[in-house]
Amino acid sequence: MTSIRSSGVATTARPRAGEDPVLSSPLDSRLRGNERIKAARTFLLRHPGIVRLGAVVVILLVWEIAARFFMDPMFISPPSRVFASLGRVLHTAGVPDALQLTFFELAVGFAIAVAIGLPLGLAIGLQPFARRSLMPIVLLVYGMPKITILPLFILFFGIGPESKIAFGVAHGVFPIIITIVAGVQNLKPILLVSARSMGASRWQMLRWVIFPHMIPSFFAGMRLGMSGVLLGVLLAELYVSTAGIGYFTTMFTENFQPTKLFGLIAMLAAMAIALNEMVRRAEHRFNRWR
Amino acid sequence: MSTGEIAIRIKNVGHQFGEAGEARHVRALTDTSLDVVRGELLCLIGPSGCGKSTLLNVIGGLLAPTGGTVEVAGKPVRGPMPGDIAYVFQESALFPWNTVDENIRLGMRFQGVPKSEHAGRAEKSLEAVGLAEFADHYPGQLSGGMRQRAALARALALQTGILLMDEPFGALDEQTRMILGEDLSVLLARTEKTIVFVTHSLGEAVFLADRVAVFSARPGTVKKLIRVDEPHPRNPAFVTSEKFTALRNELYDLLHDEIRAAVASEAPRRRRGANGGAP
Ligand SMILES: Nc1ncnc2c1ncn2[C@@H]1O[C@H](COP(=O)(O)OP(=O)(O)OP(=O)(O)O)[C@@H](O)[C@H]1O
Ligand SMILES: [Mg+2]
Repeated sequence: MTSIRSSGVATTARPRAGEDPVLSSPLDSRLRGNERIKAARTFLLRHPGIVRLGAVVVILLVWEIAARFFMDPMFISPPSRVFASLGRVLHTAGVPDALQLTFFELAVGFAIAVAIGLPLGLAIGLQPFARRSLMPIVLLVYGMPKITILPLFILFFGIGPESKIAFGVAHGVFPIIITIVAGVQNLKPILLVSARSMGASRWQMLRWVIFPHMIPSFFAGMRLGMSGVLLGVLLAELYVSTAGIGYFTTMFTENFQPTKLFGLIAMLAAMAIALNEMVRRAEHRFNRWR
Repeated sequence: MSTGEIAIRIKNVGHQFGEAGEARHVRALTDTSLDVVRGELLCLIGPSGCGKSTLLNVIGGLLAPTGGTVEVAGKPVRGPMPGDIAYVFQESALFPWNTVDENIRLGMRFQGVPKSEHAGRAEKSLEAVGLAEFADHYPGQLSGGMRQRAALARALALQTGILLMDEPFGALDEQTRMILGEDLSVLLARTEKTIVFVTHSLGEAVFLADRVAVFSARPGTVKKLIRVDEPHPRNPAFVTSEKFTALRNELYDLLHDEIRAAVASEAPRRRRGANGGAP
């Protein structure tokens, strides 16, 4: 196979090398162009990062041009100015505290969401009866737009960080439960049976069979839970603005300071990306066997 | 071998899944009595669905029968007996996230083997199945045959007196199966294990077994016991001998009627299933 292909290359390459004007026809040069395109394609297919970077650059460029020449600077700010302003935003009175507060709410909310979601997901997933009786409720509450009951959260938990954390948990806990339940269910029963036949205790089955099996869905759940908590915390902050990033985004919007607004959002995005990347790294370490 | 002591005593065991009248009600096994002699390899063969796996699970304590009792080493079986019984299942029951070596150690940890013995036993059992070089491979990196050998190694490391094997080579091709059968016969000659082995292959049954229990169609019970008088390890030449062929033909005749009966009893079930009944 390889020998046939290499000899084929050799014969098509010969007219190219032996500058024969008669043999290097327009057809031949078009063929050569095709080959170059093909080579570029295989190169790009091997390096998706380049395409990704390109896409981001294009979007930023469109944004930059639109913001500079076509839009009202009251409403939008070009990315170059946003990046230049990052330092200033960070030094705006109250912003560092706001970042810190939001980060604290996020961390606590996430910890609580995992602490509730993981055991609940395992309990519901491992028991068919619990699954049949409780799962519909979980799905119902998950599907409900929780923003409609945000006032209730404020009523119960006040306007401080507690209500933000609680609202974050409300958004984060259900994706975790649902992913864990789904993950438990595709465990091959034979693995549990075989562990039992070798004398595994309930704890040992949990530790050595169910947990390792759950790792991929655990991390998937963590990531979904993380974005859920982020959403919940920020929504709550936007609604009751006394502190935190949500407070400042509202303020910057109302004062027509798009540069600062986008700067703050960029920081928030960086925070989310950093958290996500941490989860992804941890996940990678556990998935050696795949 | 008939004079040896009884390793497994199966007394009037029957099992039905679900209650009479339920859609999933199945009488899988009925009034089965059978003694397995210490050190023998007993093959169970019979039509699909006649309750062979059910019986194996009852022996292994993974399933409580609805009738009858099983005794292992004189004690009634009430649950898994990891100290006495090890299992090799048809599909790979290795933990995919652990290497072969880790799988074997995990089995020993479950069984309660002191940690100091893990390394030695793992190494020995891997050598016995010829997988020493693949200790650090994950199951996903092995072929089907190697996976089943790894599963066998895990069971061997548990050093139980009894080995239950449910179509362990069922998913493998004929050639691999033959080689693994030969290896198992060699292994058997070396150890003093009692093995109950479920198979669908007539040749495999005759080649491996000291006795073959032929099951009737569902609800299954032992229809006939056939003795194979040939010392282990069995020679590949045994396969081409007249004795082998005669035994194989005898098995075929016995099974043929039962399989017809099983297929006939399946037919009305299947029609019901098409109308939205039990799967
Ligand atoms: N968990 C279960 N619930 C209900 N019925 C079952 C269950 N397990 C097995 N059965 C039924 O019991 C009967 C015997 O099953 P079993 O698995 O013991 O058959 P088998 O002889 O091992 O068949 P095969 O050779 O195909 O593996 C089958 O008809 C099957 O439908
Ligand atoms: Mg079976």
